[in-house]
Amino acid sequence: MRIQSHHAPVIRGCAIAAVFTCVAISACNRGIGARGDTANATPASPEQPAVSHVYVAGDSLRLIAHDEMLPVGFPSSVKPLLIKNPYEGDKAAITTGGKLFVAYNCLDCHGADGSGAMGPSFQDGRWHFGGAPGEVFESIYQGRPDGMPAWGGRISNDQIWMLTAYVRSLSSKDLSTENFTGKTIERTGH
Amino acid sequence: MILVRRASTVFILALFACKVESKPPAADTTANSDPKVTSTAALGTGSLAGARIAVAHAGPPGEWQMPAGDYASSRYSELASITPQNVANLHVAWAFSTGVLRGHEGQPLVVGNTMYVVTPYPNVSYAIDLAQTGQPLKWKFRPENAQQAIGRACCDVVNRGAAYADGKIFYNLLDGHTVAIDVATGVQVWRTKMGDLARGETMTMAPIVVKGKVIVGSSGGEMGVRGWIAALDASTGKEVWRAYNIGPDKDVKVGQRFKPFYAHDSGSNLGVSSWPGDTWKTGGGAVWGWLSYDPALNLIYHGTSNPGPWNENQRTGDNKWTAAILARDADTGELVWAFQVTPHDMWDYDAVNENILVDLPMKGHTRKALVHFDRNGFAYTIDRATGEVILAEPFVPMNWSTGIDLTTGRPRVVETKKTAQDKNVKDICPSLEGGKNQQPAAFSPQTGLFYVPTNNLCMDFQARAVTYIAGTPFIGGNAPEKGGPGGYRGEFIAWDATTGRKIWGIKEPYPVWGGALATAGGVVFYGTLDGWLKAADARSGKVLWQFKVGSGVVGNPMTYTGPDGKQYVAIYAGIGGDMGLLIAGDVAANLPYDVRERGTTLPDIARWTSWGGELFVFSL
Repeated sequence: MRIQSHHAPVIRGCAIAAVFTCVAISACNRGIGARGDTANATPASPEQPAVSHVYVAGDSLRLIAHDEMLPVGFPSSVKPLLIKNPYEGDKAAITTGGKLFVAYNCLDCHGADGSGAMGPSFQDGRWHFGGAPGEVFESIYQGRPDGMPAWGGRISNDQIWMLTAYVRSLSSKDLSTENFTGKTIERTGH
Repeated sequence: MILVRRASTVFILALFACKVESKPPAADTTANSDPKVTSTAALGTGSLAGARIAVAHAGPPGEWQMPAGDYASSRYSELASITPQNVANLHVAWAFSTGVLRGHEGQPLVVGNTMYVVTPYPNVSYAIDLAQTGQPLKWKFRPENAQQAIGRACCDVVNRGAAYADGKIFYNLLDGHTVAIDVATGVQVWRTKMGDLARGETMTMAPIVVKGKVIVGSSGGEMGVRGWIAALDASTGKEVWRAYNIGPDKDVKVGQRFKPFYAHDSGSNLGVSSWPGDTWKTGGGAVWGWLSYDPALNLIYHGTSNPGPWNENQRTGDNKWTAAILARDADTGELVWAFQVTPHDMWDYDAVNENILVDLPMKGHTRKALVHFDRNGFAYTIDRATGEVILAEPFVPMNWSTGIDLTTGRPRVVETKKTAQDKNVKDICPSLEGGKNQQPAAFSPQTGLFYVPTNNLCMDFQARAVTYIAGTPFIGGNAPEKGGPGGYRGEFIAWDATTGRKIWGIKEPYPVWGGALATAGGVVFYGTLDGWLKAADARSGKVLWQFKVGSGVVGNPMTYTGPDGKQYVAIYAGIGGDMGLLIAGDVAANLPYDVRERGTTLPDIARWTSWGGELFVFSL
C-alpha cells in the first residue's frame, strides 16, 4: 500500500501527518504539531518558556549558542541566547519524537537505534553541528550539507522540538575505541 | 542496493548479540600454510576442457582498460610471470595514497604507461606516470560533486571505477553526473547530469563503453528510485537512450524483440501490472552493479536491485523487473530477454552482481553461458542468448529456498522464511548482504573455474510499514545480521559452473568483500576485509602468499605489465562500503578518525584494520 504520491512529498501539519496515524493522533490530541503553521509553535505548558521562531527578524545569528565556534577577539555585549526546548526531558514528548523518528524515515539514515548508518550516530556524543537543543533544532529545520534534508516548513516546529528531545535522549558519552576487544557495548535505544 | 547497499543497506540493532561471535572466530588469516581446502579435485581432464571467455581482453594483455579487463567480466589476465613457484617473492613495489578515507571499491586502469585511479567521494581522479621513478602524477582532476550526495548514498560513498576508450576515461560521480576526462590533459571533456539527487539517485557503478556509447546506471534501491540504465555518446556526453526497469513497456523498452525464456515472463506492461497501484513509480530496480557485453549478440547484460521498499506487504506481485537479469540491445536499449532471479524479493536480494560471459562445455555441447553468483545464494548458469537457466545451485549456506525449479526458473521458497510486515522472521540465510555482493568473481579458462569471494551471514528480518518521502530512505525494515553456520563469515571458493559444484574453498573470518583476479600464471588473488591481499594456487586453493596492506580491502585486484616489462599486481586498501557500515560505528560521519565496532556482526574487525585510502602495487 502506498500512501503518499511521490509528486507531493511535502508534509504539512495534520492534514498529511494524519497518514502517520498513531503519531499524528497523539500529536493532535496534545494540541501540538497540528497547526500547519510552522512559524508559531505553541508552548506545551505554562511552566516552560515560550518558543519563538528561530528565525525572528534581524537577530537570528545571536539566537543560538554554538559552543564549538570561537568568538572573534573583541568583547561583545551581546550574549548568545540559549534556546530551550519546551520538551526537553518530557517523556511523553520523547516517546512521540521516537514515533516521528520512524514516521519521517529518520531511522533508516541514522539507524534504528540512532547509532548511525547512512547518517551520523546520535549515540556517540559527537554532534557535528552542535548538540545544544537549539542547534539540533537548527540541523533538522534547515538541513545540513552532507545530505540531511531540511524539514523546516514541512513539519511543524513542535514536531521538530519533539524530534530534538528524542535524538538528544539517545546520546551517551563517546564510545571507547577499546570496545573493539569484543565486549558488548551498552547502548540505549528503543 | 545495498548499498549498497545496497543498494544493499544494513541496519543493525546494536543490542543484538550473537553467541557465535562472542569471541574472535578461529581465523585462518595467518594460516597461509593451512587453508581450509574442502576438496582438491583433479582438474583439466574433465568436462571443463574447452571452457573459454566469450570476449577477448580489452587492449594488449599488459593493459587493463575496462573495470573487469574485458567485456565478459572475466577479470582474467594472460600475464603469467607470477606463478605458484615464485609468488612467495612478491613484494611491494610502490604505494600511493588517494587522499580519501572511505570505502575503496573498484580497481585502477592501466593504459599505455599510465595508471588511472578514481577515489570514493569526492571522486578525484589521478593519472599516474608508470614510466618514471617515483610514479609522479601526470594530472589530478577534482570534479564538481554536490556534497548532499554523501547523505543520499545508502552504503558508503564508494565508486567502482572508470572505463577507458578513445583517449578518454569515463566515470560516475556520486551526485549523479557522468564525466569524461581527456587522458592527455586531465581536462573534463563533458559532464552530464544523469541522476536526480532529490529523488535519491546517486551513482557508484563503473561504466563500460560499447561502440562509442558510455553505459551507466544509478544507485538508490533503498531510496525509492525507479531504476534505469542509459547510454551516452562518448564524444559529446549526450544521452542516446535510457531504459527504465520498471513501468510501461515503452519506458522499459519492451517491444517486438522481447522474448523471455519463461512463459510467465511474457505479457504487456508487466513492469506496471506486477505492482499494486502506482507503487512501480518508487519500486527500486536500480542498476548499481557491473555490466557485461557480448559483441556477437550485441547484448548488454545488467542486473537490477531489490524492489522498494523492503516491506513486501506494500508491493504485492512479482515486482518486475527488480532483482532481475536483463539483456538489452546495445544500440537501442531494447529489452531482448529478462529473467527475474528473485520474483517478489522480500530479503533485499539485489541481482546486480556481475554476469560473466563464458562458453562452457556442457553435456557434449558448447553453451553460450552467462554465470551469475546472486545475492540470493544461488549460482546461475544461464544461456546468454535466450535467458534459459541451465542450472542453479547454492554456493553458500542458505535456508530461504529449497532450490530453483528449472521449468520456471523460480525459487522454491521456504514458507517460514518469508518476511512480512510487523513480523520478526528469524535466522534467514544468506543475509541481505547476500551470498555474494558487489565483490566481483573471476574466471580462468586454464582451470575452467570461477573464483568467487563470498559471504556467510544470516539475518533476522523485521519489516514494517514505511511512507515514501522523496530524498529519504524508502526501506521499511531492519535486518540484524550474524555469522552463518560453521563459525566463519566469508569464504573464497572455486566453482565449476558446468556442474554447480564447489571445488575448493578458503574460509575467512570476515565476509570476503574484495573482488578476485585470475591469471595465466595459475595464481588467483583476492583481498580481505581485515586487510590481507592473498595469492592462492588456482588449482588447489592453497594460499601461497599474503601481505597485510594498510586497510581492509573492498576493492578488486588487477594486473598489468609495467614499462620495465615486469608483471605488477595492484589493489586498493580502504575499508568501507556496506561492510564499512557494519564495522565502523561512525562511518557515515565526516570525522573518520577511528574505527569502532557497530553492533556485533563483526565485533573485532577494528582490531585488525582502520580507515585507509591507498593503492598498493606489487611485483617480483
